[in-house]
Amino acid sequence: MENDKLINQIRDKTELMRRDSIEMGYAAGGQGAHFGPALSCMDIVATLFFGVMHHDPKNPEMPDRDRFVMSKGHACLAYYAALIETGYIPRDMIPQFKGNNSILCGHPSMNVQYGIEVSTGSLGSGLPIACGMAMAAKHKGEAHKVYCIVGDGECNEGIIWEAAFNAAKYKLDNLIVIVDINSFQLSGTTSDVMPINLDALWHAAGWDVSCIDDGNDVAEVLQKITEAKNAAGGKPHVILTKTTKGKGISFMENNLKFHATPINEEQYQHAIADLNAAEKKRRE
Amino acid sequence: MSNISLETLKEWSTLGHRNSFGESIILLAKEREDVVVVNADITTTARLVNFEKEFSDRIFNVGIAEQNMIGFTAGLAREGLMPFVVSIAAFAPMRCAEQIRNMLGYMNLNARVVAIEAGCRFGPLGNTHFATDDIALMRAIPNFTVICPADPHAIYKAVFAVAEHKGPVHIRLTGAPGFPLLYPDDFEFEIGKAIEYRPGKDVAIITTGSVLWEGIRAAEILEKKGISVRVIDMHTVKPIDVTMLDSVFAENKLIVTVEEHSIIGGLGSAVAEYKAGFEKAPKQIMCGLGDSFRKIGNYEFQMKDNGLVGEDIAEKAEKALDLS
Repeated sequence: MENDKLINQIRDKTELMRRDSIEMGYAAGGQGAHFGPALSCMDIVATLFFGVMHHDPKNPEMPDRDRFVMSKGHACLAYYAALIETGYIPRDMIPQFKGNNSILCGHPSMNVQYGIEVSTGSLGSGLPIACGMAMAAKHKGEAHKVYCIVGDGECNEGIIWEAAFNAAKYKLDNLIVIVDINSFQLSGTTSDVMPINLDALWHAAGWDVSCIDDGNDVAEVLQKITEAKNAAGGKPHVILTKTTKGKGISFMENNLKFHATPINEEQYQHAIADLNAAEKKRRE
Repeated sequence: MSNISLETLKEWSTLGHRNSFGESIILLAKEREDVVVVNADITTTARLVNFEKEFSDRIFNVGIAEQNMIGFTAGLAREGLMPFVVSIAAFAPMRCAEQIRNMLGYMNLNARVVAIEAGCRFGPLGNTHFATDDIALMRAIPNFTVICPADPHAIYKAVFAVAEHKGPVHIRLTGAPGFPLLYPDDFEFEIGKAIEYRPGKDVAIITTGSVLWEGIRAAEILEKKGISVRVIDMHTVKPIDVTMLDSVFAENKLIVTVEEHSIIGGLGSAVAEYKAGFEKAPKQIMCGLGDSFRKIGNYEFQMKDNGLVGEDIAEKAEKALDLS
């Protein structure tokens, strides 16, 4: 029962976060936003911030906080939405997304006060940093965990595998990586652009590999991440998580056009209507 | 104050810049628990074996993977450790320039990139192993400080100085085993503050790195011809010491910049950039590497072939002085 309550709370937050993301992306006007890759990992980010991680928005530098690294930094809408709903970032900053002199950059720019742990965006950059953070925790005898979201397209980058080998070498079992497998990248499907066997590769790199069949189902995401969090075993953990690109907005789902694009007023209204309908259905 | 004996410095001079750094970092690590070392499978090449023996839990060998080496370093620095990431200059900063820019520069982390074998000494190995353009690169990355120590004592001083510095630092090491000990006595080493190695009125030879030795030799040659030469060790190329440059502009007739680096983007460029803001300033000639890849050859060959020995520097200075 306790768990059901938590799952419901997280689902409430994912609804709010999807709304925040659409609002931010629409506010960016013609500059557009990476809607698809943010919506795919929205439920993972929400689960981490509201159901898994130990953190305190009132004390962003709390030494024993769990660390979060959004390696696929272009999905910052999901990250910012979590930071808004937790209270790190004030809600009235929503219209500032991608604005002049804004904190809400198109890719996360380190800002500890607002809960942005490190700068990412150049693909492949977050995982090695997360490895260093996990290594530092081990070195200093600190018990917190490091959570890192990596994209499936991002796994094209050689540095991901350099980092993966290194994390296994140093037995970073305090590192939990969630690979958001939405099956699309900028110019096509991941199977067309660069067909790689992620399961085989992560196994070969020496990681503890688990899978989530529906990464947009909070219950499954919570269960698998919690299992990884509680496992030790001397291996870093990776959870290969199948998601739906653009999840929650009907015309964006599995539609490569909405990987990164502006939306017009009609599309904005359509997106809001989709979110209203989903919320209504969930409460019936 | 240096807690280091003249005998030790003489030994380091014989062994070269790698050992000078490898031993200096041990001394720093004894004083500071936050100091850790990261490298990409060059523990032996970089003379880090003694460090590893003493501090086996404070050195990380990430395998032959320089991009991750920088990311890993960034994570360590982000968590409050003080990583010194050591590589051959051709591989860091050059190979992993983007990671250095985004992960160390952009986040303004307290990481130190130590580049061994910068300049021409890897001449026989071919241009893949040269880094003659790294100052240009690192100078352009915001937040980075760029330091090129001239001798073993300066390396020791730089290692201790950067430990107190906030923000990322590039330490560029040049010179072969047997490079001269130019600072046998204790001396003041302050980041961003150039050292007037010897005073002089006519020509100001400004150098960075171990090529200071050739600058001193050039000065000695010119002095014999009655030309008064000031020699300045601009060990910090960024931020450059504009107070020292102001003094040079006011007091000297000719500036000769000397560097084991491309004339594009290095010390000479840094001096010229500052000089561009002055209506009246002395003429400057640049001794450095031209805009081409190097021929294959040993260090002595490289220095001569690129006009970086004292005789060449003196000749160019004398000619320029005649014309001005």
